[in-house]
Amino acid sequence: MNTRGTKIEDDDFHAYVDGVLPEYRRETIEFLLHENPAAAVRVDDYFSLNSLLHKRYDPILAEPLPARFRELLQDPTPKWFRLPAANWPRFSALAAMLTLGIGIGFGVQSGMGTGGSASGSGTRASSLHDVRYSGHDSGDSFVRKAALAHVVYMPEVEIPKTGAGIKDLDFVKWLTSRMGTDVRPPNLEQSGFQLAGGRLLPDADGSMAQFMYRNAQGERVTLCVSRRKASSNTTAFRLYEDGPVKVFYWIDGQYGYAVSAGIERATLLRLSHDVYAQFTPVSE
Amino acid sequence: MEFRDQLVEQVPRLRRYARALMSNREHADDLVQDTLERALSKTEFFEKGTDLRAWLFTVMHNLYVNTIRKASMRAMHVGIEDEGVAERDEMAVTPNPAGSLELRDLDFALQQLPLDLREVVLLVGLEEMSYSDVALTLDIPIGTVMSRLSRGRERLRSLMSGKVPAARLKVVQ
Repeated sequence: MNTRGTKIEDDDFHAYVDGVLPEYRRETIEFLLHENPAAAVRVDDYFSLNSLLHKRYDPILAEPLPARFRELLQDPTPKWFRLPAANWPRFSALAAMLTLGIGIGFGVQSGMGTGGSASGSGTRASSLHDVRYSGHDSGDSFVRKAALAHVVYMPEVEIPKTGAGIKDLDFVKWLTSRMGTDVRPPNLEQSGFQLAGGRLLPDADGSMAQFMYRNAQGERVTLCVSRRKASSNTTAFRLYEDGPVKVFYWIDGQYGYAVSAGIERATLLRLSHDVYAQFTPVSE
Repeated sequence: MEFRDQLVEQVPRLRRYARALMSNREHADDLVQDTLERALSKTEFFEKGTDLRAWLFTVMHNLYVNTIRKASMRAMHVGIEDEGVAERDEMAVTPNPAGSLELRDLDFALQQLPLDLREVVLLVGLEEMSYSDVALTLDIPIGTVMSRLSRGRERLRSLMSGKVPAARLKVVQ
């Protein structure tokens, strides 16, 4: 096909759909699509196929890692303190639920108000008591990773039956040496959540510690603390939703924090404030 | 980061790709497991600093092609013999019945694509690999990637004809 003196190849349509066409070619293609309805339908179909593929298969990304892979890839040196066998039947129900909503995609704008008030328009989320819904920003990859870690590792969390507190001192010491800073899991017992485990997660941007909590009802919350290579300004609390998993996250200088759970938003927000208070010096 | 940790990070993507490639959950996870075992036993062949994802997808591609060569597995790929799998799969699609029909059709249509076209369509459309990474992964010239992509998409489009929603869907980057 020929338009405005530039030859359009079949490859150009694909490159256009896959977002890899240079800007000047893109304009030519868009002009051509405007003029040629048949080509426009074809390109629309290609776009639709790509999004159908994601809609159909992306939920697999959020499935908990089957035990056989975890066993296979388990590091011979223990990286986390022991969490006895998981409560699988209960978990599988949640896992099934998880995959339902996840196809909606990342960064869904749900447009709800904050903390029960729907009058959010025009108010800036300048205080930590405000909540912003997550769009695409620098916190995205961190929060996505936190949500993924919540789903992948959560099945391992089980409270020790002995009732004895977890001997976390060794772990904290080890974690501190790996993160290069004193990272202690906050105490969430006031909200009914007990520390049940923790691990260091692989993270290309720095290191990330994950702490897992559980309450008497078996609800699970994970907290991810990430030490980033680059420091950024303190942000407000943001809410990220991925299917039934909600994540409140914020960034404070070199650290990113993410609290993930499949529980009610208000409860999660309360927990997040609790975490925030424990990580922030009183003098501030 | 340790090699095992890097592998763990890749598992969800490998599983997604394998499931789209062969549709049956159990067989797809078997392929992922074989891939990981091969990767762990052939670690020395992985060049540090190169793209681990491309390497793993190459390993998976070779294993899959060999499996198909060895046995005629085609009947198994549709996976209808496994009732339990089918039931669980039902949960994985959207609650909208019309929508789930479309998505089911997608499984079926993909299985009808020849493997060489299916791989390219999935690596580009689902895995969002660059054309040059696809060429590297499958060890084929980039021109072949483009012609397979073009034929694969056209074939899929006609297989799904009338089932692809007419409205333009924005691709989430």
